[in-house]
Amino acid sequence: MAYIIHCILLLLYCDTIHSEATSSPESNPVITIRKALSRGESHVKVVEESAVLSLQTIELLCNLTDIPNNPPSVTGYWTKDGQEIENSKETVNRNDDQYIFKRTIPVTDVGNYSCVFRENDAQVTFVLDVPVMKDKRDKPIVTYIGDTVVLKCNLKHIPKTWNWYKANNTEKDLINVTASPLKYKIMIHKNVTKLSVLNLTEADAGMYICSGEFDIRAIESQLELRVLSFLEPLKPFLVIVVEVIVLVTLILLCEKCKKRPDHDTATTENDVYTEQTSKLTHSDSNGMETATRQRKLEQ
Amino acid sequence: MPPAVTDLEYTPPDGGWGWVVVFASFISIGFAFSFPKSLTIYFKEIQEHFGISYSEIAWVSSIMMATTYAGGPVSSVLVNRYGSRPVVMIGGLMVGAAMITSSFANSVMHLFICVGVIGGFGLAFNLQPSLTITAKYFSSKRPIANGLAMAGSPVLLSVLAPLNQFLFDNFGWRGSFLILGGVLLHCCVAGSLMRPIKIKPSVKKPTPPSVTEVNPTHQSVTEVDVNNPTAETVNGKGCVEKVNRFIDLSIFKHRGLLIYLVGNIVMLFGVFAPIVFLVPYAEQHGIDEHDAALLLSVLALADTVACTGTGFIASTGWIRPNIQYFYSFAVSCCGVCLLTGSLLTGYVGLVVYTVMFGLTYGIVSALKFEVLMDLVGPHKFSSTVGLVTVIECIPVLLGPPIFGLLVDIFEDYKCIHFTSGGMMLTSGVFLFIMNYYNYRQLENKEKGSRRELQINSADKIAAREEANDKEAAVNMRSEDVTYSA
Repeated sequence: MAYIIHCILLLLYCDTIHSEATSSPESNPVITIRKALSRGESHVKVVEESAVLSLQTIELLCNLTDIPNNPPSVTGYWTKDGQEIENSKETVNRNDDQYIFKRTIPVTDVGNYSCVFRENDAQVTFVLDVPVMKDKRDKPIVTYIGDTVVLKCNLKHIPKTWNWYKANNTEKDLINVTASPLKYKIMIHKNVTKLSVLNLTEADAGMYICSGEFDIRAIESQLELRVLSFLEPLKPFLVIVVEVIVLVTLILLCEKCKKRPDHDTATTENDVYTEQTSKLTHSDSNGMETATRQRKLEQ
Repeated sequence: MPPAVTDLEYTPPDGGWGWVVVFASFISIGFAFSFPKSLTIYFKEIQEHFGISYSEIAWVSSIMMATTYAGGPVSSVLVNRYGSRPVVMIGGLMVGAAMITSSFANSVMHLFICVGVIGGFGLAFNLQPSLTITAKYFSSKRPIANGLAMAGSPVLLSVLAPLNQFLFDNFGWRGSFLILGGVLLHCCVAGSLMRPIKIKPSVKKPTPPSVTEVNPTHQSVTEVDVNNPTAETVNGKGCVEKVNRFIDLSIFKHRGLLIYLVGNIVMLFGVFAPIVFLVPYAEQHGIDEHDAALLLSVLALADTVACTGTGFIASTGWIRPNIQYFYSFAVSCCGVCLLTGSLLTGYVGLVVYTVMFGLTYGIVSALKFEVLMDLVGPHKFSSTVGLVTVIECIPVLLGPPIFGLLVDIFEDYKCIHFTSGGMMLTSGVFLFIMNYYNYRQLENKEKGSRRELQINSADKIAAREEANDKEAAVNMRSEDVTYSA
C-alpha cells in the first residue's frame, strides 16, 4: 500500500510595510512549492530550500495524504535546527483524506524547520535562508599607487539597494560618489555592483565593505585592498635581472677562455665532410639510405 | 624519407656540450609553449580592471600562441643568417621587454600588442632556433635530445602555474608582469649556452644552377670532387633565387613533408581543445576546483614522463628507421584515447583518462619535430620548421574557439572528445597510409635511379677513356709538330 505525503509550502503576505517600489518583478510574494514523498522515501529527509528576501510572515504547510486505515487524526510536531520546538505537538484532523499541518514562522526566525509525523516518521525539512554573497574573495587585492581598481560584489538575489563602505577601525564610512566624483564610481546592475577607485594612494588601502540591503537585513561582504608602491616588485625584478646578466657574462667568458687554447685545432674539423658516411650508427641496414646519398649527389 | 643526415658536413658531437644545449633548448621550448597557457591566472583580474569580457582577454593568450607559430619564417631566416645563439638571446630580450612594458598597460590593446605580438615573436625566436640547434648537435641520439627538449613544456608549465599564483597574490597583475619579464630573461641565459658548432659550411659553387639542371651528369661528376654541400644557397639571380637564399621554398615539393603538413593540420585542430577544456569538463562532472586543478598537474606529469621515455624508445634500432609509422601510431592512439576516455566516469575514471591522454600527448609532442627532422634532414630543417609552423598557426589559433562554439551549441563537453578524438584518429590513419605510399614511391624511384646511375657511370667511363685517348693522340701530334719545327 502506498502512501504518499504531499507537502505544500505557502508563503503568505501578512502586511506589506514597505511599498516595494524599488523591488524587481522577481520578488513575487506568493510562492507555492509542492513536494511529494513516496513510500520508498518515507524515512528519507526531503529538503526544500527557500530564500527569505522580504518582510513576510511565513506559513509552513505540510500536507499528509494517503495514510493507510485513514485514522481520524495524526500527531506531528515541528523541529527547528534539529531541536523539537516546545508545544509544537499537534493533533491534525483528517480533512478529505488529507492531513494539513501548519506553522507560522516569524520572519526574523530563519533556520531549518522540519515537520515530523509520528505515524510513519515522515519528515520534510524547509531550509529557510537569507541570501549569501557569491564569489567571496579571501585574498587581498593588490594594486599600485596611481592605478585604478574595480571591486566587485555579487549576490544570488537582487537586493533593494547596494551600498559601499570603507572600514575605518571599527566604524564604516559610507562612500559618497557625488561628494567625490573624481575618486569613486559605483556601478549597480541588479545583483552585481562594482566600485571603481581611481587615482589610488596609500590612504586608500584597507577594508571595503559592500552591503546589499534587503528588507529583513543587509548582507555584507568585505574586500581587502592593498596599495603598494612600484618599488616593491621592482626589487625582486632587479635581483633577477642582475642574476641573468651575471650568468650570461660568466657563460660567455668561460667560452672565450676555453676557445683560446682550442683555436688552432678548430679549422681541422672542416675536413670531416668526406667522413660522414662512416659515422652513422643507427639503421645503417636501411638500404634506402645509400640511395639517398646518391640522390643527394645528383641534385 | 630516410634521415638525410648526410646533409651535414661534419660529425655531430652526439654528446658532450650537446647535452648542455639540450638543457638550454629545454628552457627555451618550455617557455615558448607553456608561457601563454600560464597567463590565464591573471585574466580574471585584468578583465575586471579593464571592464571587458573573458573572451576578449583570452585573445591575449591566443595571439601570443599564434604569433609564436607565425613568427617561424622570420626566425628561420635569422637563424640561417646568424645562427641560433643571437636569435635566442634577442628573443629573450624581446619577450622580457614585452612583459615589462605591458605591466604599465592602460588599455587592452596595449596588452594585445605587447604581450601578444611582441611577446609572441620573442617566443618564436626561442622556439625555432632551439629545435634547429638540437638537430645540429645530434644525429644518432637525436630522438633522445628532442624528447628531453620537448619535455620542457609540461615541466615549465608545472613550475610557472604555482609561481604565477604566488606572484599574483603578492604583487597583483602589474607587479607580476614586471617580475615575469625578469624570469623570461632567462631565455637569454639559455641562448648564451647555445654555442654554435664551429664548422661553417663552405659555400663554393663552381657553376650557376642553370647549368646543374641542364647537365646533370656533368654536375654529378664535379660534385663528387668539390665540396658543394648546399643545394639551397644560389647565385641570387632573380626574385625566387633571392628568397631561396634566405629560406628554402623548394621544400614544398617534398611529398613526405606535404603528407606531414596535412596530417598535422588536422591533428592540431583537435589536440589543444581537450587540454583547454579539461578543468571545465571535470567541474561539469561534479568535481571541485582543487581536484580539477590537480588533474592538470597529473596531465603535465604524464606528459613529461612520456616525452622523455619516447626519446629513448625512438632512438632504438627498431623504431628509428620507422619513426614516421611510430608517429602516426601515436597520433592514432591519442585519438582512440580521447574517444574512449569520454566514456569513463567518476574521479578515478577522469584521472585514468587524464593519465592516458597525457602519455599519448607526450609521445606525439616528443616526436613532432623529430619526425620533421627525419623528413628533411637537419640542414634544411631550419627553413622548413619556420614554414611549417606558420601554416600550423591556423589550426592552433582557430581550434579552441571553434570547440568553444561547439560546447556552446551542444552544451556538453563530450562532443569535444568525440570530435577531437575523431580528428586525431583520422590524422593518424592518414599519416600511416600516406607514409607507406610515400615510401613505396621512393623505393621505386631509388631502383629506377640506381639503374640509371649504373648506365651513366658505364657511359662516363667509356667517354673518359675516349677523351683520354683523344688527348693522348693530340699530345703526340703536337710533339711531332714541335719536333718537326
